[in-house]
Amino acid sequence: MSLFDGPRGALSELTRPEGWVLGVSVAFLLFLLVAMLTGALGPTYFLFLVGLAGMYALLSFGLNAQWGFTGLINFSVAAFFGIGAYGTALMTASGSPIAGGLNPLVGLVVALVVALALALLIGIPTLRLRADYLAIASLGLAEVVRLIVLNERWLTNGSAGLRGIPGFFHGWPVLSTFPEAMPGLRLEVIPGSPVTLKTAFWQASLNVLLVLAFAGVTYFVLRRAHRSPWGRVLRTIRSDEDLARALGKDTYSFKMQSFVLGSLIMALAGVFYAHLNLYVGPGDLDPITTFYAWVAVILGGSGSNRGALFGGVVIVTIREGTRFLNDVALPIDPAPLRLLLIGVVIVAVMRYRPQGILPPQRELIWPSAVDGGGTPETPDSGVRERKGGGDNE
Amino acid sequence: MSEGALPKDDAVLRVDDLQKSFGGLAATDHATFAVERGTITGLIGPNGAGKSTLFNLITGFYTPDGGTVEVNGTDVTGMEPYEVADHGLIRTFQTPRKLEGMTVREAMLVGSRNQPGESFLTLLSSPGTVAESESANLAEVEQILADFEIDHLATQPATDISGGQMKLVELARAMLAEPEVLLLDEPVAGVNPTLAKKLKDQIRRLNGQGTTFLLIEHDMEFVMDLADPIVVLDQGHVLTEGTPKGVRNDDRVIDAYLGGGA
Ligand SMILES: Nc1ncnc2c1ncn2[C@@H]1O[C@H](COP(=O)(O)OP(=O)(O)O)[C@@H](O)[C@H]1O
Ligand SMILES: [Mg+2]
Repeated sequence: MSLFDGPRGALSELTRPEGWVLGVSVAFLLFLLVAMLTGALGPTYFLFLVGLAGMYALLSFGLNAQWGFTGLINFSVAAFFGIGAYGTALMTASGSPIAGGLNPLVGLVVALVVALALALLIGIPTLRLRADYLAIASLGLAEVVRLIVLNERWLTNGSAGLRGIPGFFHGWPVLSTFPEAMPGLRLEVIPGSPVTLKTAFWQASLNVLLVLAFAGVTYFVLRRAHRSPWGRVLRTIRSDEDLARALGKDTYSFKMQSFVLGSLIMALAGVFYAHLNLYVGPGDLDPITTFYAWVAVILGGSGSNRGALFGGVVIVTIREGTRFLNDVALPIDPAPLRLLLIGVVIVAVMRYRPQGILPPQRELIWPSAVDGGGTPETPDSGVRERKGGGDNE
Repeated sequence: MSEGALPKDDAVLRVDDLQKSFGGLAATDHATFAVERGTITGLIGPNGAGKSTLFNLITGFYTPDGGTVEVNGTDVTGMEPYEVADHGLIRTFQTPRKLEGMTVREAMLVGSRNQPGESFLTLLSSPGTVAESESANLAEVEQILADFEIDHLATQPATDISGGQMKLVELARAMLAEPEVLLLDEPVAGVNPTLAKKLKDQIRRLNGQGTTFLLIEHDMEFVMDLADPIVVLDQGHVLTEGTPKGVRNDDRVIDAYLGGGA
């Protein structure tokens, strides 16, 4: 099942939706590449988009670890994202009213610690209760965090937001001066439309590197954790918590772990965002972020890490793609159009593929126990595809 | 003396003066009985007698208003279900529990106790240990499925099998947890006679290997054939306890069933 079986072997094992997603992704990448080479899409802006996609992927990973794995309904994605962004910004920004100027690594740690505290604060009273309590409490929490950020000026600068956030690699050896040290590069692939790569491009490359590291490590950890006894207990809780309790599982503890893990990943997305955008404001805690994360997870397929990744990329494509519609001079504003488009996508997915585009495929059994044995009838893929309803091929 | 009065020197489960009411209704009304190690003890009574409630009280799903539950001599009253399970008591539910999106063997694997891979940190720090125990557990699952003659279901979606097969899987999974005492709530309700016979054989076989059973069952023939002694519950309290024969000929039991305890 690994890519090492050779590309043909791997390709033939793809389900139809997987092949479809792969094809569209490759086509989309080619399209972006052409747009870049012809100068229609600035390379620096392209890298910024990749960064955003990574950020949304992180948010979706986080929510997937809560909703997709365990069935926890968290409506405060934006709050944990905001805590991450503000946590690091308050430590590192020159405009910070409390600390400022510290190394971004300090910012990262502080952001994660605050997010952990907040996750425990809301998890402890609600996770012992029925599922809907967390949903309601998290809805309230999101608004409370947003109002605190907006109104407690001594702490957060209020509506003015925080300026002067350094790049994440500020103060690191080599990497902090890397963008300035790189020479400007002038490429002319297509005659007549040269592309110049300057300091901003190298800065953006570093950001992409950072988000790839964040998202890569997260993906690795989640994948390992999901196809394991741990992930199996979470899925049992998701479909029948009482059964998990009867079989001797401390479900409260498992739910707490899943909730904290997801919240930390969301905060990580916020940390990245602060050092990408170099400015954070109360608007970054708007509930729309929560909405986007939910759309991404449901679209991708609840419980599937790949699905979350895919959903995150789709969200950025829709969010940023609609900006270009300005150029085409549409008679309507792109902002409502964007929401309309997302609404249509969600309705279409729910109607024709309720399990999402890339639902989880494999059994939650430690891979070496099933793959290594080489039992011929091992249904390594397609188990859930069959029961998925939607489209049976 | 009408209550669970048989002498029990080696009780694996002891219920003493247990009480629970819902609003004004005393669903469990000063119930007292014990389950002797090595037996298959039946728990019968008319609909609404409080049998399932009693199970919920014993296993920590409900908190009793009064009384105590002892498992293996340890007072487990008020403990969380997982703590009660840790003391060697496992239960099944009256309505089969479906695990959405899991295969049968995957759903079975949830039953194994003390899996190192259930600790998040162990997953990252010592994957080798996890892999080892997972392979061992999977082998055990395949063995138990074979013992139950349902190994052909291993990779079926757990939601696609028949109700009777689901009951078999539940029993098999409960056995994976290696309980000392297993509480079964209506194991053959809605199960066809062939599978019911199979379940009966399995329960007997497992009992022969040392597992103690407490089972609720409506099917009189089934329970009278399998269980000894039998505890009769009526309106939340223990009416009597005795051999199948003794219970069958007890007028109070007949009254309880016919007259709704009037
Ligand atoms: N959670 C509950 N809330 C309110 N009433 C309950 C609850 N559980 C059981 N009861 C009531 O307690 C009585 C005994 O129910 P139960 O234990 O399910 O009976 P049995 O399993 O013997 O048929 C019934 O009258 C039932 O309605
Ligand atoms: Mg009942």
